[in-house]
Order: sequence, then C-alpha cells, then structure tokens
Amino acid sequence: MKDGRNRKRRTAVLLLAPAIVILIGVFLLPMVYILILSFQDKQEQFSFENYWLFVKDPYYLQILWRTIKLSLLTVGACFLLGYPVALYMSQVSNRMRGIITFLIIAPHLVSVVIRNFGWVIMLGEKGLINNSLLKLGLIDKPIRLMYNELGVVIGLTDSLIVYMVLALATSLYQIDGSLYKAASILGAGRVRTFFTVIVPLTLPGMLAGSTLVFSLSMSSFVTPALMGGTSVKVLPVIAYEKIMTQLNWQVGAAISFLLLLSTVGLVTLFTRLVETKRYKEVFSS
Amino acid sequence: MIKKPSPLGVVTFLVVLFVISPLLVVIPTSFTSVKYLSFPAVGFSFQWYTKILDRPEFIDSFYFSLKLAALTAVISGILGTLAGLALHRYKFRGSGVINSLLLMPLTVPALIVGIAVLLFFTRIGLAGTFTGLLLSHILISIPYVVRLVLTGLSSFDYTLERAAYIMGAKPYHVFKDITMPLLKPAILSGMVFAFLTSFDNVTVSLFLVSPSTTTLPLAIFSHMQESLDPLVASLSSVVILFSLLFIIILERVYGLDRLFGSNSHSH
Repeated sequence: MKDGRNRKRRTAVLLLAPAIVILIGVFLLPMVYILILSFQDKQEQFSFENYWLFVKDPYYLQILWRTIKLSLLTVGACFLLGYPVALYMSQVSNRMRGIITFLIIAPHLVSVVIRNFGWVIMLGEKGLINNSLLKLGLIDKPIRLMYNELGVVIGLTDSLIVYMVLALATSLYQIDGSLYKAASILGAGRVRTFFTVIVPLTLPGMLAGSTLVFSLSMSSFVTPALMGGTSVKVLPVIAYEKIMTQLNWQVGAAISFLLLLSTVGLVTLFTRLVETKRYKEVFSS
Repeated sequence: MIKKPSPLGVVTFLVVLFVISPLLVVIPTSFTSVKYLSFPAVGFSFQWYTKILDRPEFIDSFYFSLKLAALTAVISGILGTLAGLALHRYKFRGSGVINSLLLMPLTVPALIVGIAVLLFFTRIGLAGTFTGLLLSHILISIPYVVRLVLTGLSSFDYTLERAAYIMGAKPYHVFKDITMPLLKPAILSGMVFAFLTSFDNVTVSLFLVSPSTTTLPLAIFSHMQESLDPLVASLSSVVILFSLLFIIILERVYGLDRLFGSNSHSH
C-alpha cells in the first residue's frame, strides 16, 4: 500500500519536475530577486529610498493617480459597452452566441501592437474618423483623438473588453429562466426585472470582469506607449524607462512592486466592499 | 421568456465592429500609394509590400518569431501535458499549491514578469540570449497548456483505460493508444495557443530581446515609435493573416469559447 503510494508520488514529481524547474527559475526566483532589489540603494545597501520617492515626489504620485484613473475609466467603458453584449448573448441561439464569441475573442489573439496601429489609422489626423467628420462638415480642422488620455482609454477598452463580456456572459448564462417568468407573474416589467433580479445575480460576473480589466489595464505598457504619446505617462512606462534607458534597476523594481501592490490592494478593497454589502448571499453560493 | 429586444442587437453589432475595426482598416491601408497613413487609402499599389523585401530586419525577425513560437509550442506542449497529467491523476499534499503556482505567471502582470526576468537573467548571464527569451515564452505558455489539458482530462472517460488494462495492455501502450488520442484536441489546442502567445507577445519579449534576436511584433513596435508609415500596415497585414490562420485552426480543433476562462494574460 505505502509502497504504491510512494511510487505514485515519485511519478507525479517526475512529471511535474520540468515545469516546476521553469517556474522556479524563470518566475519565482526573479520575483524574489526584484523584491530584494527594490529595497536596495545604488550601493546595494538596504534602504527604503526607492519607495520613499512615491511619498515625497508629487511627480510619481501624479503618475500613480493617472494610472489608476485611466484603469477605472477603462473598466467603466468596458462595462457600459460589454453589458449589453453579454445580455444579448444570453438571449440568442447557441449558433449566434458562438459567432459573437468568436468575433469578440479572435481579434484579441492578434498582437496588441497591431490592434493599436489600427487605432492610429482610425484616430489619426488623416484617419477614418477625422476624414469622415471633415467630409460631413462637422469640423473644419482635424481634432485630436489620440496621443492623449482618450486614445489610451480607447485602446485599452478595445483590447480588454473581451474579459468583461465573457465574465458577464458566464454569469448571465447561469440565471435560471424561470426567474424571468416568476418576476413577470409578480408583475415586474422588463426594466424592473432587470434591475432587481438580473443585475444583483450578475454581480459576481461584474466583479470578476471589472477586477480583471482593472488589473490588466494598470499594468499595460504597449497601449499607453503607442496611444498616449510622450505626455500620458503611466507607471508601466516609467518602470520601463527607469530600467531600459536610465538603468536604474532599484527604482524600476520598486515601481514594479508598487504597481503590483496597488493593483492587488485596490482589487481586494473593491471586492470586500461589494461582497460584504447587501449582496453577500449572491457570492456565498 | 423574454423577446429579443433589437436595441441590444444593435449595440452588440456596434461593439463587435469596435473590436474588429482596428484589424479591418489595416489591410486596405497597406495598399496605399502615398507615403503617409490615411484612411480611406489613396490610390492602389503593392509598393509597401515590396518595400518589406528591402528591409531584411523585418524578414529576419519574422523567421525568428516563427522559430521561437514553434519551439515554445513544442516544449510547453510537452511540459504542460506532463504537468497536467500529474496534477489530475495524483492528488498529493501540495498538489493544489503546485496547481495554483503553475497558473501564477498568468495572474502577475506580464510587464512585471518581464522586468523580473530581465533583471534576474542579467544577473545570471542569460539576458539577451535566445535561451533566455525561449524560457520566458515557455513560462507564459505553460499555464494555458496545463489548463487546457486539465479541462480535457475532466471529461476524460477512464473506463476506456481500465478496459485496456483488463485486456492486458502495458501502461505504455495504454498511454499511446488510449490516453494520447483522447487528449489530442486539448494538447493540440494548448500548443496552438502557446504558439500564438509566443508569436504575438510584446510585453515580456520587450525586456528580453537583443538587436540580433528581435521578434516581428517588437520590430514593428520599435519602427512605429520612430515613424508611422504604410510599411507598418503591410507588415501588420502579414501578421494578421498569419495569426488568423492559427486562430482558425484553434477554432476548428477546440472552439475559441472554451479557451477563454476567467483568467488571462499579457498586455
């Protein structure tokens, strides 16, 4: 008996070993290393100075705030655009649902650089939108649609909305159809049913989608770099500059951890707020 | 029963259009005959495609990306399948921890993974090497393979394996003739997904490429930061068509909707 169990365990360890070795060498050790690095000064002495920067220098605080603000705006945009799509998906035939799922997911598998380039073509001075508005006579000179915060939010929403839609759709699919009937028998109209029955029941999906979109936009680098231009700097862009151009690893490492901490912290706070309020029961199932 | 409210359909159509439009505008733009980006494109010509041929760095990085993605797919396909089998078959103390550890590279932002790997690899002398880049791509692809294999195993019919054993088959033959064929769609999709993850990755690669080992998306990214010309459009069109090929394979083999769970990666 015991022998058999030992052999089984050995087999399991052997099968897992190569993946674990990569996980340790390419992920866990590097993460520990930059954590240590973030608490060192240039002379490799222990110090808090890299983190202290964020407390005393308003420049960094401003960038932190901008990163959070842009992420929140992205969550809002993904939610407003994504909810109707998820709702529609929960009401159509399986075939139609499959088609919409494919169309929403497929573009997401093409590099974010190329999707952003597509946005440059549409939002640029001679882009689709400016050209159309000029032709219609609605504007008389091109308006600025990117290289600003608007451009970043558009780019982020485009690449992250898929997570919101799928999270919302998953929780909408689970709603028991008889609930709609029950609500209508009790005299609730469509709007009332939506707000008192559907919305509370999809809270877990909203939370999952929002936290996912929020964390992914907090740490996105390519979209702010391409759609924001030089004036819309966010934490990931600063971290990149510190490490790659200024070769200041310690500060770069500290920025990375601060980014991770603020994302996890805000997500936890948000989750607590939602889960402990009125809708506690929705989450306990 | 509620009836299909068409306003929802209209909004859905617009959102789908919003999501696919960036890719739709790239291809017509690549046939423009002028030197600047404009939509609708001006004139018609293939010049931006022939100009790719004058830029060996893009052709080299295309081959490089292919090589890297293929190796990533094969290696993470094998390692992920082994790990998935072990996690599903043998429940031992710590297997839950290992399971969540294996998915962790997905939950930590790609940017932070990239930075951590760069700094650590510089320390141990792997930065800027092909091995270093390959290892990091394997790291971010393995979670997908593991997850797809685990999903494949959850609907796995063990009676077939048991029947084979009863009939006297050796473990190796059971694995080769029963287990593998049944798991093939899951493993194959895992590998195609690993290929795409590697082929299209920017955020992790950004920190690990060197001038002689650059991937195509990164070559495009650096070109875009210097100049925005229709050359980017023709290069991007090539990548779009190429990715599309793999997306269609993925859809045929596995179905995209099953692929996307609640968790994901790389921006």
